[in-house]
Amino acid sequence: MTPHLELHDVSVSFNGFLAVNGLNLAVGRGELRCLIGPNGAGKTTALDLICGKVKPTGGAIMLGSRSLNRLEEHEIARAGVGRKFQVPSVFRELSVRENLEVAYCKTTDVLHNVLRFGRRAESDGLEKLAELVGLEDQLDRQAGYLSHGQTQWLEIALLLAQNAELILMDEPTAGMTALETHKTAELFNRLKGRHTLIVVEHDMGFIKEIGDVISVMHQGRLLAEGTVHEIEEHPEVRRAYLGSGGISHA
Amino acid sequence: MTGILNARRAPNRVRSVRGRTVSWGTVAQLAVYAAVCAGIFVLPVGLDDFMLNKVARYLVLAMLAMALSLSWGYAGILNLGQALSFGLGSYCMAMTLKLRTVPVHTGPEGLPDFMVWNNVQQLPWFWVPFHSTAFALAAGILIPAGLAMLLGWFMFRGRVTGVYTAIITLATMVVVNLLIIDQQRYTGGFNGITDLAQLTLFGVEFDAYASTTYYLVASCLTACLFLALAFTKSKAGLILQAVRDHEERVRYFGYDVAYYKIAALTVSAAIAGLAGMLYTVVMEFASPTFLGVQLSLSVVIWCAVGGRNSLLGATLGAMLVAGMQGMLSESETFLETWTLVMGAMFVLVVLFLPKGLAGLVEMAANRLLDRRPLPTVAPPPPPAIAGTGEKEAA
Repeated sequence: MTPHLELHDVSVSFNGFLAVNGLNLAVGRGELRCLIGPNGAGKTTALDLICGKVKPTGGAIMLGSRSLNRLEEHEIARAGVGRKFQVPSVFRELSVRENLEVAYCKTTDVLHNVLRFGRRAESDGLEKLAELVGLEDQLDRQAGYLSHGQTQWLEIALLLAQNAELILMDEPTAGMTALETHKTAELFNRLKGRHTLIVVEHDMGFIKEIGDVISVMHQGRLLAEGTVHEIEEHPEVRRAYLGSGGISHA
Repeated sequence: MTGILNARRAPNRVRSVRGRTVSWGTVAQLAVYAAVCAGIFVLPVGLDDFMLNKVARYLVLAMLAMALSLSWGYAGILNLGQALSFGLGSYCMAMTLKLRTVPVHTGPEGLPDFMVWNNVQQLPWFWVPFHSTAFALAAGILIPAGLAMLLGWFMFRGRVTGVYTAIITLATMVVVNLLIIDQQRYTGGFNGITDLAQLTLFGVEFDAYASTTYYLVASCLTACLFLALAFTKSKAGLILQAVRDHEERVRYFGYDVAYYKIAALTVSAAIAGLAGMLYTVVMEFASPTFLGVQLSLSVVIWCAVGGRNSLLGATLGAMLVAGMQGMLSESETFLETWTLVMGAMFVLVVLFLPKGLAGLVEMAANRLLDRRPLPTVAPPPPPAIAGTGEKEAA
């Protein structure tokens, strides 16, 4: 079976610095893959490459049988890739409801959208989404006034509204309390199977809660891949990233 | 929060109209817009011809400011060349009205008077279709819109944003302005096109000082205001506001941002073109100053004073400021100092009312309607870059 997403020998250089250097990665449909690695390993750049923010200087990025190399960001999004950014990126001047309406993008055509007015039945689904992430009381609040944790949740809800097949999450729990992190883990476990997820995280406790297979990046390439246990025991990973204390001390 | 003039926030109470839900905020907004438009129609009662013409002129300028609020306030495109569309519309109207004076002034086979003075032998090809008023009316809207579309295509496909958009639009306008001044033989040059016939549509003659012209302008303003309002209320309008807020993010939801921005710029230019045509009717001439830097920058100020995020705010802002300019510059007390008074007003608005007068009204309306305290804290600053600092390990 072809993997849902496949990166083959992907490289990108910024002024001669190889941020990603011959990265190979294959993620199956419905899988939740964690991507870890020390700072500067190229994790975020890898996500940038997949969603089209950065164009690869070499290699191939395939979504199913479709090459993403030459597509623009919006074309990649239409092909079924959603992205959550490291710095929560929501529309701060719009209300939570309007944020969700923008993300709910069944039709992306201009002329079609000029003739669409009011909120129809579809907005019920959006309200349920807001409920799912605990923002049902904040629907009419301007997103700029939400707390940091709520903003993170809102962006996750935006991705659910977008309903992309492949969701890229860059540090979804950054700045969340332990309880919020746990709630996020529960949500991600529910998404497994229905969506393919790639999650970049530093929080090893969170990764243990959600991760099946973990890919470890180091200096722009793949260092190791395996289950939590395998990664913990991997000598090179311990040296490069986890430290001698193992995963619990990372 | 319930926005009255400012449509960006959805209130929590909604009602159903033919299967669609319409918020009370929208209903209130429509009511306010309708009331203002009704006021504009009632206004001429008791005005003499001279004042009627003056107010009609302010209404046209208000239309221009409203068009800018559509592109600047809603889509974040600061079009400093807004007067380009306005001027082109104005010239289209002037050309057709000028040709209607030909049989009277210079004989049936003659040429417009300024061409005769410039020794032009034959009517230039681009003047010929303007024998038809219908063509001129279409051209006055389609030429500015087409030019904006082309310019938008180059700018927004190339992801030109922010201040560069402002510079390019301003520069384009200056180029066209110089071309018009330079080609005196075909355009009347610095003098513009003067001594025009009166516009006649369906047997109605539009004398600049008659109430027919006033009502023509008022009808066009009302129609454009509601058209623009519909545009901002559509899903495309919402997406444009998202683009204004965070352009990059919108792309990752699958929207082709360039096309949305082109659409906003084009609609705005079409309205400005129509306003330009009306301006020629009201002023009875077309001049290169109609697409000059001074007018174009004034429009930005009118918009800022009225509230660029509100179509009605920009409309009323233009009427207020242009009206004040007229009054102050004609009054004996302020004959010397009126520019200072205007300048002080702009400084005050920029310092204390970043959302313009519409923002002030909105704030007051929120206090009255919701009786909810406004959030006094500023939005939290963007969080620190999360990836750099590791989170505490669980």
